Amino acid sequence: MKENENLLRLEDIHVHYGGVKALDGATVYLNDGEILALMGPNGAGKSTILKALFGIAPVTKGEIYYYGERIYPVPHEIVERGISFVPQGRQIFKSLTVLENLEMGGFSISSRAVLKSNIEAVLDLFPDLRKKLKVPAKNLSGGQQQMVAIARGLVTTPKVLLLDEPSLGLSPKIVKEVFAKIKEINQKHGTSIMIVEHNLQSVLEIVDRAYLLDKGQVVANNTPQHIISSGLLEKVFLAHK
Amino acid sequence: MNSIIPQLIVNSIIAGSIYSLVALGFNLIFGTTKFFNINHGVVSTIAGYTVFSLAKNHGMDIWLAIIIAVIFTGFAGYLSEKFVFLKMREKRASGMVMLVASLGLFTALQAIIAIIFTSQFQTISTNFGESKVYNIFGGIITETQLIILAAAISITAVLGLSMKYTKFGKAVKAISDDVEVAKIVGINANKIIAKVFFIGSMIAGVAGIAIGFDTGIEPTMGMNLLLKGVIASIIGGVGNVYGGVLGAFFLGFVENFGIWKISGEWKDAIAFGVLILFLIFKPGGIMGKKG
Repeated sequence: MKENENLLRLEDIHVHYGGVKALDGATVYLNDGEILALMGPNGAGKSTILKALFGIAPVTKGEIYYYGERIYPVPHEIVERGISFVPQGRQIFKSLTVLENLEMGGFSISSRAVLKSNIEAVLDLFPDLRKKLKVPAKNLSGGQQQMVAIARGLVTTPKVLLLDEPSLGLSPKIVKEVFAKIKEINQKHGTSIMIVEHNLQSVLEIVDRAYLLDKGQVVANNTPQHIISSGLLEKVFLAHK
Repeated sequence: MNSIIPQLIVNSIIAGSIYSLVALGFNLIFGTTKFFNINHGVVSTIAGYTVFSLAKNHGMDIWLAIIIAVIFTGFAGYLSEKFVFLKMREKRASGMVMLVASLGLFTALQAIIAIIFTSQFQTISTNFGESKVYNIFGGIITETQLIILAAAISITAVLGLSMKYTKFGKAVKAISDDVEVAKIVGINANKIIAKVFFIGSMIAGVAGIAIGFDTGIEPTMGMNLLLKGVIASIIGGVGNVYGGVLGAFFLGFVENFGIWKISGEWKDAIAFGVLILFLIFKPGGIMGKKG
């Protein structure tokens, strides 16, 4: 990657779900080591950006670059490239144990020894999960399930972690823990993180930069503090009331 | 009177072996795709007729014919997935639509088999293990039937171990739990499902060949075989590989002991009666979830 080149770049992305335009020429980039937030009202296209990056949204126009190279995302190939996705809604393998969930997270790792070592490293980050390794994931609390989902996304030691509303449905105490973990992951491992989040108060404490989206387009790209103080955030949200 | 019991046990075990092969393939496919694939019945028929055509009509060595038939049947299942069911899943077709499509495919293929081979009942090669018979505690079992039993046991064992210890097995487990999350962790779900269809169809093919050697083949044999496999799966727990096998042997025993004192024509009525009882009182099956 050249100096000043973005780690990840979505250029003029259009996504259509049937007749609905989910993204309308959005351009978003993520720099190496950055925590980036995607903000905006419901239907703005925030989650769609993550899905387009991961290859699970129908991109009708635009280009995606990773390390300066144009890519055509396909989920199983994207994981091998070092991009992990943690979708919203605590999507884990509910009938599998915590350990099995983590092992599935490392499905693309061919070496059993590397997988074991990576899982150990992830458990160092989430020590509470060590006591629950043999527990079926469906028996965990919401917060614990979210931790499993994030932990699973880290087993491949991704370069980029995509998080879609990690605080959804969690208590304020757990939300604080989740965001502290996200910050720790970024600082300890240098993982670049793109996060979609409605809980602005919590996410703004940890992000370096933010995009404000509305109706599938980018409205602002700046530090979150700047976006808030400019009144643009309030303007966009109020327009949807 | 008591001398008939060992024979009933032998007959039950053989029936259970054949049903377990159908149930294994059905459960493997249903577990990953969550749709009731009626076409699974006709792949058994395809296998039986492939052996019939190669061995009886073209004089091929019977074991070579069996191997080719099993692989050919696997490909038939794979092609049905690639050109029909995958396309429907990509268009987000409902389970009902896919069931109807599988019924259409089943009916079309069954009709083609009848056109090519006529509707007459046929026997597969007569020089396969028939000459030897064994007496096991008073029950007579032919060499062919012993081979069928051995095939059922070994296929169950191999499949069970694969599901537990191979990467493919883990992928199947993940897809069975949640196919969308499986894609997110990097599993190529379509590729795995294609393999599942190939393997499941091969196993069903072995069942069709087994029936062919044990009793004979006809173009309409697939539906009855499929239904017995489905009943076995429901008894044992749908989607549970071992449950299907347990259910198959349970069904085999219920059928054969059920007709001990009455006409053999009651076999199917007994089988479906058991199905209804399980659907009412234990719909999750013996090894499945409660209620």
